[in-house]
Order: sequence, then structure tokens, then C-alpha cells
Amino acid sequence: MATGAGETGKDPVDVLIVGAGASGAAIAWSLLETRMRILCLEQGKHISDREFPSRREDYELARYGDFSCDPNVRMLKQDYPINSTESCITPVNWNGVGGSTINFLAHWPRMRPSDFRTRTLDGVAEDWPVDYAALEPFYEMNDRNVGVSGLGGNPAYPPYRPELPPIPIGRLGWKLAQGFNRLGWHWWPSDVAILSRDHEGRQKCVNAGTCDLGCAAGAKGGANFTYWAVLERARMELRTECRVREVLIDPNTGFATGVLYHGPDGQLQEQRAEIVILACNGVGTPRLLLNSKSKQFPDGLANRSGMVGRNLMFHPLTGVSGVFDEPMKGHEGPMACSILSQEFYETDTNRDFVRGYGLHAGRSTTPMTYALGGYGIDRPIPWGEDHREIMDNVYPFVAGLTVVTEDLPEEHNCVSLDPNLTDGDGIPAPKITYRLGENTRRMLRHGEERAKEVLLAAGAKKVLCSDDGNVWWRAGWHQMGTCRMGNDPRASVVNGWGRCHDVKNLFIVDGSIFVTAGAVNPTSTIQALALHIGDNIKNNIANLFD
Amino acid sequence: MWPGTQRQLLDLILDELIPPGSDGRVPGAGAAGVADFFPSAARYAPDPVGAITTVLAAVAANSPDFASLDRAGRVAVLKEAESEEPDSFATLVRLTYMGYYSRPDIRPLFGVGAHAVHPEGYPVDNGEAERLAELTEPVLARGAIHRD
Repeated sequence: MATGAGETGKDPVDVLIVGAGASGAAIAWSLLETRMRILCLEQGKHISDREFPSRREDYELARYGDFSCDPNVRMLKQDYPINSTESCITPVNWNGVGGSTINFLAHWPRMRPSDFRTRTLDGVAEDWPVDYAALEPFYEMNDRNVGVSGLGGNPAYPPYRPELPPIPIGRLGWKLAQGFNRLGWHWWPSDVAILSRDHEGRQKCVNAGTCDLGCAAGAKGGANFTYWAVLERARMELRTECRVREVLIDPNTGFATGVLYHGPDGQLQEQRAEIVILACNGVGTPRLLLNSKSKQFPDGLANRSGMVGRNLMFHPLTGVSGVFDEPMKGHEGPMACSILSQEFYETDTNRDFVRGYGLHAGRSTTPMTYALGGYGIDRPIPWGEDHREIMDNVYPFVAGLTVVTEDLPEEHNCVSLDPNLTDGDGIPAPKITYRLGENTRRMLRHGEERAKEVLLAAGAKKVLCSDDGNVWWRAGWHQMGTCRMGNDPRASVVNGWGRCHDVKNLFIVDGSIFVTAGAVNPTSTIQALALHIGDNIKNNIANLFD
Repeated sequence: MWPGTQRQLLDLILDELIPPGSDGRVPGAGAAGVADFFPSAARYAPDPVGAITTVLAAVAANSPDFASLDRAGRVAVLKEAESEEPDSFATLVRLTYMGYYSRPDIRPLFGVGAHAVHPEGYPVDNGEAERLAELTEPVLARGAIHRD
């Protein structure tokens, strides 16, 4: 039930969720059975599948305009600018119902057991206050809700089996898998939140290859198609075009009392609530907390630890391509998901880095994006005869591997408030300060060399690699760690079930609570965590604020 | 948008940025009509017409008779313009690629469908189950590779 601000009045609600993306939708679904009055405020709008640009003949242009993954390019009313001038990676997202699952690529690997225990196993970062075993039932629950395709039996994980068979790995997937096999290295068909067959009223994937432009088939398990379909049938209240400015605090009790938000007309309004849940991602949530200053919290709400905004982690990426002797048809099939190798995922003391990375075989892309440098990269290929040569004799024959590294938490990598830049409602914009750690650089170099080996083993006649030490600029999909979980209130923002140490009726459920990043796409874990937190709220409802 | 002689010059430039294929199957960007895209490209560059006009002026200043040059001569003039006006030239290149490859008649020349990708998509062989079992067999044979 989407409404505009003011239509439903300012009556207090039981639960106020800020953000209608992956985690906000998942926890709303979890809490639905409590029959509490739940309200979700979302700064963006609903977008109908009829509006997705993949229905237009010039669909590729949208990637550089209204449907760019980069809010600084889109500059839509619901977007907030992000100052990334002091970062080698810029955050990308979507603001609207479904959040960044509107334009995400739906790669769905789980984190691995060791990801939750890096301090114990490898002496780096911190252990999570939850582990794989605790999250496993919520991974299962979430997978059922989302619709996951994949192949059971992946030896990189404890046993589990996706409900639907894998999507086609495509010609390039077959080619690369043979290369991995020749080297004796692990690979497996990717788990994806994309339907390989019609499922529960949703249509299977049509292999359009433009997952980033919104899935007009509804096959991609974006929260808009999964959780929100259920929530709207249950008539849960959703107010769109409502941007939260500040979380309010009772000066006597120290409890959150609600929020101040700008409605569609820009007017400031107050919404009161018994429980406030933040689901604004790893940039938006610390931004909101840092902007919620008071006498009790002069450095930002729930920030007595000083950890709000710190330990920002991305997944730094680089890519290596091979040119084969037959067309790879890389534009056909889900964009980012073919096969995934986790051969180099775990720490090996023979290497010059700790932890590890994945080698992701996505598809290639459409001609325009290739000519402009590739997805997430602004580095057009040469003009002139070289252009002709590349587009005729390289582009159709390319298969690539992306090196996706684990990013260790470092306090100096952070989200802060920009002193000058603001969004359309005058709220300070986030500023990203981020640089690659030496461990990550070593991983990237190692990964590039291993990717070259795989491509050659797979039969590539030529390998293309930039070798310039740069990572992809628009690789900031995964924003993690900026309000991390932990048992120690001096070193973390929330406890093991998402409750702020400093404000006991304030919860955080998005990727900001990750303690470490793993080297996999995080949305599966983000939603599993949100369901885990929802379960704890329900189980502790009688003593929730003790 | 541009008077006749300027448009002719622009088309010649575009045909050097994305030249035609040697077999005549793939048109150059000028012959494909990419210049018609530029006036509507403000969503993708702050001042597309201004940038392109700047490049046209630089080329005309360096080579009053660009049309009479051979291919190598035209490329040399364009490289000079690129070094003199790097930002405007980069904008022209970027918009040329966008205008060219967004055309439904161009994509199939590179193996990609002319159609909007939804709702039709692409037919992809999904009968992989048995072959996948064979392909993954060596991976399974190595056993578990995760640490608990």
C-alpha cells in the first residue's frame, strides 16, 4: 500500500523501517506476522517493470543516463550525491522500492563459514558475533522467498541445494570451466537470484543480458518482485518519496522516538515509532546516523564507539579477458553470473596476502558498453582503425574473468558528512574516503595472473589485461562495515542481532553491520541477516529493550 | 544543427572515428547518421553541441580542406585536434560510440539483436544438466575446499 506522506497522518507506528531495499523488505516480511503496525519510508519511488529501459530499442543508452548505476550520473530527484573524490571506487546504487536490487546483477553466493571467523582463523579483522551455522536457516528461508537457481553439491560450501536448476552457463562458461578443469582448480555454476524456470507466478529469465537495466521479465529476485509483492498484498504501509533527515531521540530515556523526514513536497514532517529500523545501505545508514546529532550523541547517533562510518569495505575488482577463436555470445544470459571459482578464497600461507578472492566469469556485454570501456569503467576503446579491429575481431570473441577480492576493514576507510555538498532537501551528502590496502593490491595482482592462466588453459589465443594497478571505478556496489556488529560496545555499533548498543530500540539491518566483507556478492547475506534480526526481535519481543 | 559544409565535415570526421568495414558491410559512423544523435545527447554530456563545434573548428583551422586529404592525412589532423582540444574531442568520441551502437540497425552487425531485449530476450540452450554433471565431476572429486 504505497501512499504519499501526510495521507496517513502522524500516528505513532510500532515499527518504522527506513529504506525499502533488500534488507528493509526482508525484515518487514519477517515482522509481518507480529501484527505490529509497520511503516516503511522510502526516498525513491516504485518503478513499474513497464518503465525499465530494456523495453526500449536504444536500451544501452540508459546505462549512461537515467538508469546509470551511479547516482552522481543519474542525478534523479530521489538520489543523493556522493563525494567520491577521495576514493578509488565510487558507490553505486538505486534509490526506490526494491533499492539496489532493481539494478543489481543477482549473483547470489553465500558467505563461507571462514568469513565469519577471520580473527580466529587468520588473525585479521574481527570475528562476527554470528556464524554460518546460525545464519544457515535464514539463508534457506531467504532463498525460498527470492527464488534461487544453482547446482547443489558445491564443494566450496557446507551442503545446501538451490531450489531451481542452474541457469545456462553459456558458451563462455563452458569454455572457462574447461580451463579450470585443466588446471585442476575449483569452479562451480553460479548461484543466482534469477529464475531458471517459471516459479510461483513469476516468469523465468529470458537471457536478455541487461540485469542492470531492471528485469522487465520479473525473473530477477529483486525485492520489488519478491518481498514487496507479499508486503503489498498484506497492505503494509509504504510511503514513497519520503527522505529521512534525522532519527529523533528522547533526551530522558535515550530511546529513539521516530524520525524527521522530507515528504514529496520537501516539507519536513515527524513520524513517531516504538522501534526504528535502518535499512539504508552501508553509505546511507552511517550518513543518517552522523546527521542525527544531539546533546547525548554529539558525534552522531549510536556512535559512542566512534565506529559509525568507519571500516568501509567494498569488493575491489579488476578484470582480465581472453580472446577466443569462436564467438562467445557473451551478451546472452544473466549479465554477471555464469561460473564462479573459489580456488583462491581461503588463506594460504604460501601467498603474500591473507584471505582471498573469487574469479567470477560473468558474461561480456553489449557493443556500446564494450566500446565505452566495459561495465563500470569509463575508458573508451581507441577510435580509428584500432576501433574497427577491436569491435570486429575482439569484442565478439571475448570471455572474461573478474577478480573479486575480500576487502579487510580499515578504520581510515570511511563515510563522513560532506561539509558543503547536500542533496535536494539540503541534507549533507556522504563523503567517501577510501584507499586500497596493500593486502588487497597483492590479491588483485595474484588474481590477475591466475585469471590469465585460466584463460590460456581454456584456449584463449590472446589475453587482455590493463596491468595499470587500477580497480574499476564504479565497483562500489557492495558497501559494508560502516556500523559493524560486535559484542564489545567500544568497538562496534550493533550487537549480534542488529540492535544498537547505545540506543536499544534502534536496529540496523543493512550491509553496514558486516564485520568482514568476504569475497562474494553480499545481498544473500544481507537478507539472511535481516531475517535473523527479525527472528531475534520476535523471540525477544517481551524484553526487547532490556 | 550544423550548416551543410560543417555537417559534411562532421560526417567525414565520424567516418574516421568509427571507419566503415573494408567489405562494406558495416557502415562508418558518418554514413550511419550518428550526427543526428548529437543534438539530443545532452543527457550524456554537459554541452554536446558545444564540444562538437569546438572540434569542428579545430579541424577546420588545422586543415581547411579536410575532405581532400587521404585517410592517413585525416587521421593526422584529428590527432592534432585531439591534442589541442582533449576534453571536447573525448566528448565527441564518447558520444559517437553511443550514437552509433544505440542504433538497432547497427547492433546485429556485431552479433547482438536489433530488438529491445525485453520481452523477447535470447534463446539459450538450457539442456545442460547431463553435460554439467560431467564437467563438474573433477571438481567434486577433489572434495570439500572450505574451512569451518
